[in-house]
Amino acid sequence: MRARAAVSAALASAGILLAGWQAGVRVEDTGSGAVGTLSGTDGTAGSRTTGSGTTGSAAKAAGTYAGAVVQTRFGAVQVQITVKAGAITDVTALQLTDAERKSIQISNRAAPLLRAEVLKAQSSKVQTISGATVTSAAYLTSLQAALDAANL
Amino acid sequence: MNSPALKTRTFGCMGTVISLTVPAGTGPGTVGPDGGLAAAAAAVERVFAGLDGTFSLYRRDSEASRLARGSMSLRAASAQMRGRYADAVGWRLLTDGAFSPERPDGVLDLSGLIKGYAIEQAGDALLALGVGDWCLNAGGDVLVNGSPRPSTGAPWQAGIVDPQDRDTLIGGCPLGGPGTKRALATSGSAERGDHIWGARSWSARSRTGPAGAEFRQVSVAAPDIITADVLATAIVAGGTPMLDRATDGWEIEVLAVRGSGELLATPGFRA
Amino acid sequence: MNTPLLAGRPAVPRRAPGAVNSFRGQHRRRLLTADLLTVFFWATLALAVALWLADGGAAGFSTLAGSFTALGITAGLAGMDLVLCMLLLAARVPVVDRTMGHDRALEVHRKLGKPALYLLLAHGVLIAIGYGMAEGLDPVSELVALWVLVPDMWLAVVAIGLFIAVVVTSLVAVRRRFPYEFWYAVHLLTYAAVLAALPHQFSVGALFAEGTWQRLYWLALCIATGAALLYCRVAQPLLATFRHQLTVSRVVPVAPGVVSIEMSGLHLDRLAGSGGRFFIWRFLAPGLWWHPHPFSLSAEPVTFDAGGRGSLRVTVRNLGRGSAQLASLRRGTKVAVEGPYGLFSTAARSRNQVVMIGAGIGITPLRALLESTPFQPGNATVILRGHGEAELYLGTEILELCRRRGATLFHLTGSRPAGVQTWLPESASRAGHRLASYAPQVADADVYICGPAAWARSVIHDARTAGVREDQLHCERFDW
Repeated sequence: MRARAAVSAALASAGILLAGWQAGVRVEDTGSGAVGTLSGTDGTAGSRTTGSGTTGSAAKAAGTYAGAVVQTRFGAVQVQITVKAGAITDVTALQLTDAERKSIQISNRAAPLLRAEVLKAQSSKVQTISGATVTSAAYLTSLQAALDAANL
Repeated sequence: MNSPALKTRTFGCMGTVISLTVPAGTGPGTVGPDGGLAAAAAAVERVFAGLDGTFSLYRRDSEASRLARGSMSLRAASAQMRGRYADAVGWRLLTDGAFSPERPDGVLDLSGLIKGYAIEQAGDALLALGVGDWCLNAGGDVLVNGSPRPSTGAPWQAGIVDPQDRDTLIGGCPLGGPGTKRALATSGSAERGDHIWGARSWSARSRTGPAGAEFRQVSVAAPDIITADVLATAIVAGGTPMLDRATDGWEIEVLAVRGSGELLATPGFRA
Repeated sequence: MNTPLLAGRPAVPRRAPGAVNSFRGQHRRRLLTADLLTVFFWATLALAVALWLADGGAAGFSTLAGSFTALGITAGLAGMDLVLCMLLLAARVPVVDRTMGHDRALEVHRKLGKPALYLLLAHGVLIAIGYGMAEGLDPVSELVALWVLVPDMWLAVVAIGLFIAVVVTSLVAVRRRFPYEFWYAVHLLTYAAVLAALPHQFSVGALFAEGTWQRLYWLALCIATGAALLYCRVAQPLLATFRHQLTVSRVVPVAPGVVSIEMSGLHLDRLAGSGGRFFIWRFLAPGLWWHPHPFSLSAEPVTFDAGGRGSLRVTVRNLGRGSAQLASLRRGTKVAVEGPYGLFSTAARSRNQVVMIGAGIGITPLRALLESTPFQPGNATVILRGHGEAELYLGTEILELCRRRGATLFHLTGSRPAGVQTWLPESASRAGHRLASYAPQVADADVYICGPAAWARSVIHDARTAGVREDQLHCERFDW
């Protein structure tokens, strides 16, 4: 859409300038080629920078690098980067603290979250287990069976 | 905090195993020494066995089997059968068809509803017996009352199995105690060998196919077990649109595991 | 039936109808108008130069002195044309406002400021050099001679001085040092500068000699611009003020330093559906009446009868000295109103899905937008950002609206992480969340952003990364 505007504007401007120049030539009868440089003013309308990505540096060793543990005022943070063909392809936070956790979700919609963010439960601390343990056979090998056995 | 002393009785019914767990101590609202637990477990078992006799499709002589065979019409069925059928149809409307009382082949199958109904009835029976603290687990669907530590008000702690590794827990959820959520149900789309009590998987497969199911496992915590059970089933069947509809329309918490292992959760499941 | 359901459950929303984009036509029309405006702008610029070419101006290039003069005249024509375009951009002409939006129009206005000034300066300098060379004088002597000998020329020199003052006070670095009111007063000098610059064009410029079509065109251009300014910035506001007869009915504190001002008036149904578009308010109380306040409605107008009698509301944070006095507005204070302006409304929609992101007091325009812009349940996501819950103004109203309309709502509170460019709070940023984590459909949504400039830039960056195209981004600054 922008291209359409640029092209139309350039064409319209060029047409208007050309018409003006032609009219001027007839008036003075001393047309000079020098005015050709002026028609350049409209050309800028269409110009666009097209960046060409140049990653000139030699391919850096690929691999995964862990940064130092940094103490921030929010707690300890460590970052791991993955390098492929000289470019960082992934950045992961390795060590995170739970201080100042303030982002909360107000609507009850289910939102994506990391495994580390789920309300945790340890097998030793729960009294019952929910799972799609539908059959008796599945029950026999389930954690619930182990819990039940402990309380028999 | 050390683990509370608990006593458990288990029995098999409806093709799965039902566990009744109560605090081991004595006190008001508890079952006291073993005799009380035995009586409570017997009451629960009676409820399950009674419903199993009517609703199970694997008993050839059950009312459900006769309906499925067509040797009896729904009009002639018992008031209990018609009542549950009406419940199931109501849920189908509320879930926009994600939950259905019929298998894809058209056979009436109320098993998706009956286990939750049985748990609820069994819970009512326990309350009628004067038992105030208990945890009822039927094939991974849980309903609790009171507390594992009588008179402390502490909630029961329920764990949720990691569908990728059945020996670990992916998360937890307090039930009962001061909270309003007393029930937790989990449905899966990757359960094997569940041809009898697998109405949930039936409906999931019929819509998305076993490989295409968006959610591998969905856990729903709700104030009552039927809502939890039905919505967990419906979300597995209906995917994200049903998940959003469920969280918008009911007071529930959901922890859903996508096929890719990605987690979705409502705020209640956030640490 | 004995189904144990919860009471008070809202009706289950129906599935949205097929993926028909109901905003496509509106979007295409808007893009077409935008392109036409661009063409119009460049065409007037070319026309200004063509006027001179048609007059045989190119012949001047035959000598060195003539070349300077020719370039000087061209620069003057182009510069004046830019100034007129700048005036039109700031005039709040409806077609410009509906197509580009107020912010974008002012952005272009600001961008043109320096080129226009340079062209006008070049005009003066080149003419002085060219004329001087022709007469054997140095440029300074020539300038003095022009001032003294040529009528209206002193006015033109004064105009240049005024233009310099206006542009310099508008430079970001300079503007920060002075209060808004100072900048505003100096900016009004633009009109004086334009008026002072006009006489020499018609009295001295041979190009615009009486009887030429160039003179007619140039006069028409100037008169049209002046008429647009008078109509849009004077007549319309007066009409609106008399039509609506607004008076302050209540000032309600919302949070520390934040008040909602409720006003009652007539014909308020005509202001319905303005969404997050803003109005210019002037509270006609001693010491306040001259101060324009740009605020959006924070709720759709409520009308009581067929005559449009009703009330409306703005929510204001104490941002400057002028805003501070608003908290003590008295009931019955008359209010002058202009607007609505801007594109922060349904008129900017291009998709069925919509994502609204607001920070701090920037949340309030979202409140009105959320109330009025059409979407199917599930097709809207609202993200509110603030340091703390208390800063999520109108949070409960928005929560209620989201519930009712089926929008997903996120409250993101907490400090920004130090040294990282992000719009998210520390915890969310560390967890690796991005805009797409909250609104997975963002690439195919209209994104409305309202908040402080730096924060908004960060949101825009995130949105672009998520695949949001320029024409889907609708941003409203509020830190004027």
